[in-house]
Amino acid sequence: MMEKFDAIVVGAGLAGLASAYTLANEGMEVLVLERGDYPGAKNVTGGRLYVNPVRELFPDIWKKAPLERFIASEGVCMMAGERSVSINYAGNELLEEPYQSFSILRARFDRWLAKQAERKGAMLVDKSRVDDLIFEDGKVIGVRAAGDELHANVVIACDGVLSFIAEKAGLRRKVEAPNYAVGYKEIIELDPSQIEDRFGLEGNEGSARMYMGEVTKGKFGGGFLYTNKSSISLGIVIGIKDLMEEKPSIEAPVLLDEFKQRREIAGLIKGGETVEYSAHVIPEGGYKALNKLYGDGILVAGDAAGLAMNIGVTVRGMEYALASGYYAAQTVLQAKEKEDFSAAALSHYQTQMESSFILQDFKNFQEAPQVLENPRFFNHYPEMLGNIMKDIYEVPAGSKNRLYPTIKQYMAFSELWAMLGDMRKVMKI
Amino acid sequence: MAGILIYSDKNDYALELLTAARIITASSGLDVRALSINNDSQAEALAGAGAEVCKINNTAIALADASALANAIKQAVEKLDINTILLSSNLRGRELAGRLAQIIGTACLTGVSAVKLNGDKLECQRNALGGATVATQYIATEKKVIAIVPRSFEKAPAGTGKISELEVDVQATPGLKLVETKAKSEDSVDIEAAEVLVAVGQGLNSKDDLPMVEALVKALGGELACSKPVATDKKWLSEERIIGLSGKKCKPELAVLLGISGQVQFNVGIRDAGTIVAVNSDENAYVNKMADYVLVDDLHKVVAELNKILA
Amino acid sequence: MNIVVAMKQIPDLQQIRIRNREPVLDAVPLTLGNIDKNALEAAVAFKESHGGKVTVLSAGSEDLEDTIKEALAAGADEAFLVLDDELDGADSEAIAGILGAALNRIEDKDLIIFGEGSGDNYSGQVGPRVAEILGIPLVTYASSIEINDKTAKVVRSLEDCEEIIELTLPAAVSVLAGINEPRIPSVTQILKAGKKPKEILEMDDLGLALAEKQVITLSNLAPESERKQILLKSADELVKALSSQSLIGR
Ligand SMILES: Cc1cc2nc3c(=O)[nH]c(=O)nc-3n(C[C@H](O)[C@H](O)[C@H](O)COP(=O)(O)OP(=O)(O)OC[C@H]3O[C@@H](n4cnc5c(N)ncnc54)[C@H](O)[C@@H]3O)c2cc1C
Ligand SMILES: Cc1cc2nc3c(=O)[nH]c(=O)nc-3n(C[C@H](O)[C@H](O)[C@H](O)COP(=O)(O)OP(=O)(O)OC[C@H]3O[C@@H](n4cnc5c(N)ncnc54)[C@H](O)[C@@H]3O)c2cc1C
Ligand SMILES: Nc1ncnc2c1ncn2[C@@H]1O[C@H](COP(=O)(O)O)[C@@H](O)[C@H]1O
Repeated sequence: MMEKFDAIVVGAGLAGLASAYTLANEGMEVLVLERGDYPGAKNVTGGRLYVNPVRELFPDIWKKAPLERFIASEGVCMMAGERSVSINYAGNELLEEPYQSFSILRARFDRWLAKQAERKGAMLVDKSRVDDLIFEDGKVIGVRAAGDELHANVVIACDGVLSFIAEKAGLRRKVEAPNYAVGYKEIIELDPSQIEDRFGLEGNEGSARMYMGEVTKGKFGGGFLYTNKSSISLGIVIGIKDLMEEKPSIEAPVLLDEFKQRREIAGLIKGGETVEYSAHVIPEGGYKALNKLYGDGILVAGDAAGLAMNIGVTVRGMEYALASGYYAAQTVLQAKEKEDFSAAALSHYQTQMESSFILQDFKNFQEAPQVLENPRFFNHYPEMLGNIMKDIYEVPAGSKNRLYPTIKQYMAFSELWAMLGDMRKVMKI
Repeated sequence: MAGILIYSDKNDYALELLTAARIITASSGLDVRALSINNDSQAEALAGAGAEVCKINNTAIALADASALANAIKQAVEKLDINTILLSSNLRGRELAGRLAQIIGTACLTGVSAVKLNGDKLECQRNALGGATVATQYIATEKKVIAIVPRSFEKAPAGTGKISELEVDVQATPGLKLVETKAKSEDSVDIEAAEVLVAVGQGLNSKDDLPMVEALVKALGGELACSKPVATDKKWLSEERIIGLSGKKCKPELAVLLGISGQVQFNVGIRDAGTIVAVNSDENAYVNKMADYVLVDDLHKVVAELNKILA
Repeated sequence: MNIVVAMKQIPDLQQIRIRNREPVLDAVPLTLGNIDKNALEAAVAFKESHGGKVTVLSAGSEDLEDTIKEALAAGADEAFLVLDDELDGADSEAIAGILGAALNRIEDKDLIIFGEGSGDNYSGQVGPRVAEILGIPLVTYASSIEINDKTAKVVRSLEDCEEIIELTLPAAVSVLAGINEPRIPSVTQILKAGKKPKEILEMDDLGLALAEKQVITLSNLAPESERKQILLKSADELVKALSSQSLIGR
């Protein structure tokens, strides 16, 4: 007899594990299939998880979750070719529990979350890739993995960006370069005491830093740095379209190398050992590029649905993955009650997503991708700021100029007018 | 005073064990005894290297019957008041080590590549974690069984020893019958002695590509070696040519590794080479990290080009 | 025909990193030794052609309950486990004693199969030790096994020769890595593995207590290696580089 599951989840990333955990918690028979050697083996993230939006969805997990450091200090650095200007932010609210955001390492976090889902009764099989969907009368009824046919009431596609499952189900949009970015990231090991000294941290405090400007040669994107317990996550994100268009073409790995050699970074990672190097695609088309979220017998969650957002220097996707996984599970629970897994019944997912922070965020930021395409943000402003700072700090042999004319020199009428234009667009975000 | 006993089924390895035993006993003045079982030529060879040899001749003991061998050695250990038994860590020796340690009721280390007496501790080095690390360990029990990797020590030089006979009472193991012994196909290559080694791995497309690699071997004046699967799974080359944990440990001046991924069990056998060249189509292949020169390319293409340049 | 396969739980060697020459074992997933998988495959292949039952026997830490699923998915019918958190890394002598005691509890056993060496320790002691404890014949380094009614014909592959040995059952064999190609279980087999019977014992149940370690580890370090890792672009460059060091053209 062929076994039939309440749900088959494809992909043990955050979206998949969140839905498996939620379903198993309610006693559903759920199978998670993951192609990697273990959950988290292949998953790439920058490394910051905002807990607030998802705290209540998984009330039991946060106390024991393997989070690295809570972010107690934020920094932004505008990098010009030869200089940079940094702003660091520290606020008491960042030091108060419950902490707003944490650095995390996916290899550790995903494996732990998988264990929790298994404890609740979810079945997880790793090292097995889903090769195809099985249809019956146009409805998804299962998956094919390593020659096996496995049946379920609902398949939840959580297989990440470029979701093959969503494509098979006809739910994915055509892939267009402007809707994707690539991220390159290294994990660099350092002693906890070195990290604390270099970043001025105490105990479990952590630091998050964003870098824009020269990091991506003035292109849309930026660099990021997060401190973990005994390592640093360092990487860059850059739009695929920008990478392709630049002549001569820019090689993203070279950008990361150059980034690491910048004075601003080199001192922070000195003596550290790179223990992991990874690259990954990020959906960043925003609201307009989202995939269809449901079909007959199928739901799509996380990156697979396009649920990641890039607002210049920060990427957010993990909360959306966790929450969409949760709502997909809720939808399956509801469908199970009525024993109806048709697209009409599963459209409940869309409704839930609309009223949650997820699609509200995506709507609020829907102009962001277009606005941020403006190269002035990543090229012109970092250079200008750097130059102003240079002049302010410079003490020449002769007399120093008054500050006002110095600044005015950079703020000609045409520049102010252009800035105003940029501001107006930014206000749409 | 309790002494050291050495035994190997192979004459050369027994001579190496003699050297090891002498290094250990140099400062302690312990006795060294050599055992030879049903092997008169070995007894002569050991005596010719200055050993005090105890010779057992007993038809109940067959070489294929490791249990009977272990029993014979156990009796020698008791009769000769022995604390430390050195065996060779070839395949027969490894099995013998486990059995002997079990019946004497003691701890045992196999695959030992170096020994050092430090106070009263006999510190042994052996590969651990599949070859990723080298562990330094010692046995805390009074009696110790240690199996030493062949060719870790030089053979003992000539000297004058003596031979005495030893009686043991051993039964052949019931239920075990040797039907036939077949010598393996002669391949008398000695890759350990080569100064230049060219080794091929599973990156090689087919057996038909071997001649071109052999041409390169010739041009470089070296020997041909391989990773384990090339010999055991594919059977393209003889097992004599395997480099690694279960093959040979080599220290050539130059090693050219073609289409080998560089997993630890292989690396163990080549990490002491002078200069390592890796040719692999995968830029992330682990072998690239353990090489001095790295060429990320198709090995067939590279070999053809090298042959052309060197011709 | 009932076959028992002894398999050891080890850290996944591919996932071990070296930091400051020390192996980092923290958070490394556990798996079963490679050659032990060959041992299991030999047993399962025999069961499939001749019938019978395959029991996997293992002694290790509590994680074993999970790790052993790999063997149950790959065709073992049931597991016999001895659990104690001190067992990972215990002396071969202790492990052999435990396996021997456990085997005495397993009633019908015609053949016991070991790996030639465990994945991490690769010492090749445990099989021979168990054979001495049980007083049954054992052939090591098998490159093929043929089982008949009351006997097994085993090819023992040594460095310079092959021995063909006939064993009267019950007996034991340790296999070489090259003896077969272990199967990769399908998803349904993996799912069924969770439901297969497991007998779980603790040391007390076997009337045993773990003795103090007799093999003491002073250090365990990766060898120092400082290779140049110079990336070359062509065969030409390689020849030049090697010639300049007079490694070729002598
Ligand atoms: C460089 C970079 C930096 C980022 N920084 C941040 C950040 O700081 N904060 C943040 O919130 N987000 C960040 N993101 C985004 C975030 O990492 C993703 O949005 C999030 O990981 C999405 O989770 P997911 O579960 O949807 O997909 P994934 O984590 O990609 O998981 C998909 C899983 O499916 C598996 N899979 C795929 N195909 C199959 C198949 N056919 N069969 C079986 N299994 C399959 C994969 O192996 C994988 O485990 C960043 C992303 C990148 C690349
Ligand atoms: C206990 C134990 C003991 C072992 N002992 C040994 C031992 O002594 N010796 C040993 O070698 N192994 C040993 N092994 C096996 C070892 O783990 C590896 O499986 C083996 O070394 C892999 O051999 P390989 O590199 O030839 O093959 P693979 O790992 O398959 O690598 C083939 C490589 O070729 C490259 N390649 C493919 N095509 C091309 C091309 N056209 N041009 C260039 N490159 C190409 C690939 O990128 C790949 O890196 C042992 C294993 C165990 C468990
Ligand atoms: N803890 C264990 N549990 C079960 N079998 C084991 C264990 N340790 C070793 N073995 C078996 O003994 C063989 C040889 O192990 P070793 O002596 O450690 O090289 C392995 O291949 C296994 O078949």
